[in-house]
Amino acid sequence: MRTISFVEAMNEALLEEMRRDPSVFILGLGLHMSSKAPSLTAGLLEEFGEQRVRSIPISEPAIAGACVGAALAGMRPVAYFSLADFVICALDEILGKAGKWRYTHGAEGGMSVPLVFLQAMGGYTRSASEHSQSPLALYAHAPGLKIAAPTTPYDAKGLLKTAIRDDNPVAFFQHKLLGGSKGEVPEEEYCVPFGVAKVAREGDDVTVVATSYMVQLALQAASSLDERGVDVEVIDPLTIEPLDIERIVESVDKTGHLVVVDEDTERCGVGAEIAMQVMERAFGSLKAAPERVGNPNLPVPYSPVLEAAVLPSKEKIEEAILRTLTA
Amino acid sequence: MELSEEQLLEIYRNMVRSRAFEELVIELMPQWKIPASWMSGIGQEGVVGALSTLLDGDYLTYTHRGAYYFICRGSDPRRLLAELYGKRTGYCGGKGGRHIADTAHKLFGKSGTIGGHAPLAVGMATAAQIRGEDAVVMSFFGDGASNRGTTHESMNLSAVWKLPVVWVCENNAWAGTTPVSLVTAATDIADLAGAYAIPGRSVDGNDVLAVYQAADEAVAHARAGNGPSLIELKTYRIREFAEAGPFPTGYRDPQEIEAWQRRDPIDRFRAELLGRGVLTDELVQEIARDAEAEMRAAEKFAEESEFPAPEDAFTDLYA
Repeated sequence: MRTISFVEAMNEALLEEMRRDPSVFILGLGLHMSSKAPSLTAGLLEEFGEQRVRSIPISEPAIAGACVGAALAGMRPVAYFSLADFVICALDEILGKAGKWRYTHGAEGGMSVPLVFLQAMGGYTRSASEHSQSPLALYAHAPGLKIAAPTTPYDAKGLLKTAIRDDNPVAFFQHKLLGGSKGEVPEEEYCVPFGVAKVAREGDDVTVVATSYMVQLALQAASSLDERGVDVEVIDPLTIEPLDIERIVESVDKTGHLVVVDEDTERCGVGAEIAMQVMERAFGSLKAAPERVGNPNLPVPYSPVLEAAVLPSKEKIEEAILRTLTA
Repeated sequence: MELSEEQLLEIYRNMVRSRAFEELVIELMPQWKIPASWMSGIGQEGVVGALSTLLDGDYLTYTHRGAYYFICRGSDPRRLLAELYGKRTGYCGGKGGRHIADTAHKLFGKSGTIGGHAPLAVGMATAAQIRGEDAVVMSFFGDGASNRGTTHESMNLSAVWKLPVVWVCENNAWAGTTPVSLVTAATDIADLAGAYAIPGRSVDGNDVLAVYQAADEAVAHARAGNGPSLIELKTYRIREFAEAGPFPTGYRDPQEIEAWQRRDPIDRFRAELLGRGVLTDELVQEIARDAEAEMRAAEKFAEESEFPAPEDAFTDLYA
């Protein structure tokens, strides 16, 4: 099978969906420039023109709100916000409008808000506190949004196509470190469903739940523990909402141990939510308390030494796994 | 555009119906059938002039104040009132309350945040532009919302993309308990248009025909593909910020309120139409009686409708 990068896979999803459905259009910074080099938006302007490929000012609330308005009027907008940190400027439009509008105003008139907020997230780039966030929990905490955070190019393409076709607002996260990562992506068309977790690695001793770049770190930790005779299962939920808690519980029923890894600040985080849901459903299967690996509620600092101290790492995941196994 | 007698009467009738609806809401509140948070647009019915310039396929975003938007666009007062009661038969099945959507009339709902509509209006106009529709979007906001960044971002974007938006500011002189002059640098909010290189003008918001003329020009400008414009309606909030609630009173000079009551837009328009012979005393009575009867029927409908079931709270979040 051919191998392409994460952003090339997303680019293919955009091209295919814009060809398939004339109500799909994209808004983003710098989209007035056609780009031949592989990128998320390569080829869009040439093929679809400036009505459907819109270059935007730095006006996050206006853009996010315009997506809601366009969706209400029957379109399927995709807003490409560069960083998740900046999208926080538009939280009223995202949490208050996109997430709540259909419920509040009644589904009776066939109202829906189909849109995608694409954003890059994550640290490990020495970018300090306001360019390193992974604010998944912010979205997960608010009703009405769906949240996708893929790890591989295959899932990135298939989930983005599903996101664009979904009749609900979707926050779609691409980790900065994954953009250039390569993987097998078939030529033929496919979609990846929301709410179906993927087993990134099978194992019998401990379940590690991780999303996006954290999956890579978890897989590295699993390889290194494998040499020490610890068999780690890594579950990648792919979407936080809907969350495939059944698949996670099934894994914990088998292993009896749970570690959740979350790049976001861990207090009230997605990891905490997953651990709680597992305890509600499979407390009897747990042989020890679940462990969390996450940002210990600090702004992400700049210096490489300090950044490494705050963010999850392969080593921290290994330690957490060993802690729960020896507890 | 010269209005026919029929059109003039339709405008008058909608002003009267809008006020009758609001007076009923205010009457019902002490019985706690409707929460006391209703924000009245009584005295601002000159807005009907702007609403009367729209066609069926046009979009509208509305503010938190007044009932004229729905009444004028053709929404059913029975379902409006049922929604305020929180009944199943309301436009939003009781989930919205004052957040009313009537999608058949292109009324897609209400923002809870002041100024939250402006970006949505940009999106609706973008949809119309991409699809090549000749629809326009009329987006209302108040003097308070003129200080939100969303308003400014949206006006800029509408100008840059030459979108078919008519921005209508209902400057009613007070944002909550704050006078507009205390918190707004510009004397005329219409002057904001200069920053976005779009036409802007202020008109007497209590002169419904002046409002109609200004809006009619702006709508024609937008529909012809010439982009957005801004109209400021200088009007006045006669009643308090909300009908009751944790809001102070007594911060306004009663003489200021009385002076504006003497400029009531319905009284003025009625006098004008009587003078022109378009209205007669009998017709005035008939229109008032019809409006009263229509609203009493709405009350009966709302009273007799059922509340939603508790389990209905768990539906409709996702499509």
